[in-house]
Amino acid sequence: MLKVSNLSVDYGSTRVVKNLNLALGDDEVLMLVGPTGCGKTTILQALAGLIPISEGEIQLGPWRSTPQKSVPPEKRNVGMVFQDFALFPHLTVQQNVCFRLKDTALADHWLKLLGLENFRHVRPASLSGGQKQRVALARTLAHEPAFVLLDEPLSNLDAALKDSLRWEIREALKAAGIPAIWVTHDQEEALSIGDRVGILNGGELEQLDTPERCFSEPASRFVARFLGEASFLPGQLQQSQVETELGMAPGIPIDGARGAVDLLMRPDDLSLLPAEEGNGVVDWVRYEGCSRLYAVTVGSGSQVRVRTSHEVHADPGDRVQLAIITTHPLAAFARA
Amino acid sequence: MNLRPALRWPASYPLALVIALLAFVPVGVLVGLASDSAELFDAHNLKVLSNTLLLMVFTVLGSVAIGVPLALITAYVQLRWRRLWLIVLAAPLAIPSYIGAFTLYAAFGRGGEIQQLLGWPMPAVNGLPGATLVMTLYSYPFVMLTTRASLLSLDASLVNAARTLGMTIAASLWRVVLPRVATGIAAGALLVALYTLSDFGTPAIMRLDTFTRVIFVEYNAFGLSQAAMLSLQLLVIVGLVLFLESRVRGSKERPGRHLTLWPSRAQKWLMFLVFTPVIVMSIVLPLAVFGIWLLREGAGGFDVAYAWNSAHASFLAALVAVVLAIPVAHAAIAGRAGRFMERLTYFGFGVPGIVMGTALVYVGLQLPFLYQTLALLVLAYVLRFLPLAVGSVRSTAEGLDPSLVKAARLLGASPREAFQRITLPLTIRGMVAGAALVFLEAMRELPATLMLGPTGFETLATYLWRVYEAGYFGRAAIPGLLLVLMSALGLALMLSGERRAEFDVTGK
Amino acid sequence: MQRRAFLHNLAAVGAISCLPMSIPRSLAAEAGAVSVDQLPKLEGEITLYLGRGEGGLYENVLEAIRKRNPGLKLQIRRGATAALANSIVAEAKAGVRRADVFWAVDSGAIGLVSDAGLARPLPADLTGQLKPGFQYPQWAPVTGRVRTLPYNTDRLTPEQIPDSIMALADSELAIGWAPAYASFQSFVTAMRLLEGEKATEDWLRGISRHATSYAGELGVVMAVERGEVDLGFANHYYTLRLKNGKPDAKVGLAFTNNDAGCLVNASGILALSDGDLPINFIRYLLTREVQSYLASEAYEIPLVEGVKPPQGLPALNTISPPRVDLTQLADLRPTLNLMRRVGVL
Repeated sequence: MLKVSNLSVDYGSTRVVKNLNLALGDDEVLMLVGPTGCGKTTILQALAGLIPISEGEIQLGPWRSTPQKSVPPEKRNVGMVFQDFALFPHLTVQQNVCFRLKDTALADHWLKLLGLENFRHVRPASLSGGQKQRVALARTLAHEPAFVLLDEPLSNLDAALKDSLRWEIREALKAAGIPAIWVTHDQEEALSIGDRVGILNGGELEQLDTPERCFSEPASRFVARFLGEASFLPGQLQQSQVETELGMAPGIPIDGARGAVDLLMRPDDLSLLPAEEGNGVVDWVRYEGCSRLYAVTVGSGSQVRVRTSHEVHADPGDRVQLAIITTHPLAAFARA
Repeated sequence: MNLRPALRWPASYPLALVIALLAFVPVGVLVGLASDSAELFDAHNLKVLSNTLLLMVFTVLGSVAIGVPLALITAYVQLRWRRLWLIVLAAPLAIPSYIGAFTLYAAFGRGGEIQQLLGWPMPAVNGLPGATLVMTLYSYPFVMLTTRASLLSLDASLVNAARTLGMTIAASLWRVVLPRVATGIAAGALLVALYTLSDFGTPAIMRLDTFTRVIFVEYNAFGLSQAAMLSLQLLVIVGLVLFLESRVRGSKERPGRHLTLWPSRAQKWLMFLVFTPVIVMSIVLPLAVFGIWLLREGAGGFDVAYAWNSAHASFLAALVAVVLAIPVAHAAIAGRAGRFMERLTYFGFGVPGIVMGTALVYVGLQLPFLYQTLALLVLAYVLRFLPLAVGSVRSTAEGLDPSLVKAARLLGASPREAFQRITLPLTIRGMVAGAALVFLEAMRELPATLMLGPTGFETLATYLWRVYEAGYFGRAAIPGLLLVLMSALGLALMLSGERRAEFDVTGK
Repeated sequence: MQRRAFLHNLAAVGAISCLPMSIPRSLAAEAGAVSVDQLPKLEGEITLYLGRGEGGLYENVLEAIRKRNPGLKLQIRRGATAALANSIVAEAKAGVRRADVFWAVDSGAIGLVSDAGLARPLPADLTGQLKPGFQYPQWAPVTGRVRTLPYNTDRLTPEQIPDSIMALADSELAIGWAPAYASFQSFVTAMRLLEGEKATEDWLRGISRHATSYAGELGVVMAVERGEVDLGFANHYYTLRLKNGKPDAKVGLAFTNNDAGCLVNASGILALSDGDLPINFIRYLLTREVQSYLASEAYEIPLVEGVKPPQGLPALNTISPPRVDLTQLADLRPTLNLMRRVGVL
């Protein structure tokens, strides 16, 4: 089990990763997500041993790496899948996958599993992006690493491919029974693929929890906003109920919030109906195919986002009636 | 990389340091030789200094003016027999510049060959313009080859973007492509500058009083320490040039598929018009002049063994130079100290040949069993021409995607294994180019060969000098032709190696 | 035109002398000079350091010696004379011995090497073959070259030319010279030794007022012939070779009398290693055959008693060259400083 304690990494004089603590379960897929520059790639490079660490320690099985005594990458038995694939251009697919292997049985297994049998003797230059990434994955898994690091593996692929390949990779990791840390900037990917999600902001881990909990009980406004459309409605918290201008809703206080709070609402927590005497005015509307997203300004002046089915139609400037339809508790933050 | 309590030196540093110091040893010897001299600069030398600087600056400008367009054409334009054109255009590197100077001097001017044969009066070729012309013709390939290598790794998408924004192809080449190969051009220009600074033969024949002329007069007057002291002063200029070149900073880019241009028929003829005078002046003219004299006077005394001697000494030098260049080039990429070590190796290239030869004699005498053997001669070539190889290897290694080595390390390869299996094969192209440059320069080298080769070891270059000094100009035709042919062969081998090693080193 | 013809002739001269065995024996069978037949055959290995030679003719001499002595293994190292001299000195300093004999194109290089104490004394019977004034204990001059004043026959008559070199400084004649040329510098050194620093300095200043510079003395002679200048300073053989190729060339040879202006300098050879082989090798160069070959083909002045001088040159005793220890001409440093001070170099 990979254990990271108080990890800090400096780049020049700036501290890019601050005091990171995490432990990776035996076959867990942990997503690390955050905006650009939050340090996620740096964490991967530190875990791989490609850059030195300034404080803290990384430990896996027999080896332990500290700032004074660093374990070189080739001794860590860690696998990495790169954003730009990093396939050796002068070797064929077969040679890439079997790079340091004496026995090709495992390589054959992965090539077959990932549908690359026909490409064994081809050089990477003639493969498509998706095929290249599959080769990279096969190469990593064939070398039986103790854990795998994935650095935005799908960033360079088109959207259509991303979705299917995403699941293929997760299946492969689970089939191999190897834990992985997967870095992405796509929050949809983070929420759907990961067993746990870690949200990073400015080098610090704001929350590390299951996708559901991160989404519905975000540890901070930042996490809330990052993981999806977030609207904040002022209200009063009294004994697990929050009273707002749109009605009552069950609430969970975050960080010991009491009294005056801002309630976190997701677009599907509200319903919208055009009404002459409604409690809100539409600012703009976005057609999304099977749904519509509205931005509505309510009495207190806050703007909330509401998603309805495509059949509900209102135009900007129309009066609408909003109601809270959610039954599960909503996160309530202390009012700023 | 951050600094930590335990300072980690890149693995290439120790070896690179040893090699750089080795290349600097002859310069150190010069310091020892110069110690008895109090000869410092005086006012008379100022005129000589200005001639030297002017010659260097004009030659660099001329080489860039010729070399860059030719690089663009040979890199991007789809021509028939493109490889052949490249070989022919790079061939002037094989011809000693004093041969070019002499034949141009003999061909032009009142009473020159052209006037005699064709009856056209021709202006005389001498002085600063003449010397500039000659030096440019025989050193523009440095710029052409280094620029071409840079151009080949530039991604075409920026040019395509510029063209969709309305720029003509010419404008986009000028504004979008050339600024990005500034380091490539500068690297070639550096070699041209150093070559010009150290050349003696051409200014002597063209009657231009340069620094090397003063050095040569001192040397011939048995003022070895004065010659050494003046050479050291020349090295100050070398240092300045090195400093200026290091200031040229290009942008680090991801390599991509390079541009390809298909010229129209008219443009093809235009290019032909550009190639032809250059090739005629630099190669055809000297060979034709010698050929005429050959027909008039007959040949004699030439032994094919000379060609073999040239080839195998140069080939050995090229091989050893590339091997030694690898640690130095990687050190130069790794950090500031490494870059400094790389710069040290350039000084040997800027010292006038005859002085360098004497310094190397002193060095060689420290190892008497090696003195006047082929091994010492090869070593002398390597010490002198190492920067040619280092530049090529370094620029290819810089273009290598670092994640490839990281990937290899993570798959369990030690740094050494990663270097052997990944870095080396992917930088072969640079190594072959570097070897070719060293091969060409060694083929035409004269003073070190005369002083350090085994007694009786005659190369094409030394034979050429011998018959030239004796006035048997007709006999220079065959060795001259062989020099060009063998160098062309070497270049052809280099280009075929380039094609086979044409991998997209980004891993994309 | 002239340049081309001259070069052509020079090479033609070389081409004729391509066949080593055709060294003429018919010339000057007089007493004093030794004949090759009288010399013992050379056997063994010998390494010769050869400074640049006159038109490759030295090569022909060496080839003939090889042909005549099949038991001789002759290794030749060619190079610039100064470079070879430096190499010999460096080798000796390091205790490495490679060269057995050193044949230099001028006496300055010889001086450098013998001043370093590296030359072996030569036997008296060898040095005795040489003309008086050219007998040195440690080296043997091989052939000589005399400083001359080539003049344009259309513009000057011999009477107009002073026979004292110092007087030329005050004359109004247009003069051509080559200050960077080694022979010229040796000549100025001789003037320094004979007339003193001050007089030499004044002379240089005087001449430079009406002198044109050329790259080499070949260029000086060609300029005289074309009429660009009235008079020049050059070694004798340039004029003779020019006239050989072009008999009606408008250039004549004038000499000064008994001063530096008619200095006779010489190429020389010295022995560096022990044994009889180097000495006997040197003997070959002083034979009648080699000396008369060099006189007739290269227009150099034979320095051995009893060999005829080249055609077109008056006998040496009519010129009365100054008595100068040729090895002292190696001391070029003060000469260069002087020339630089005056602004001539």
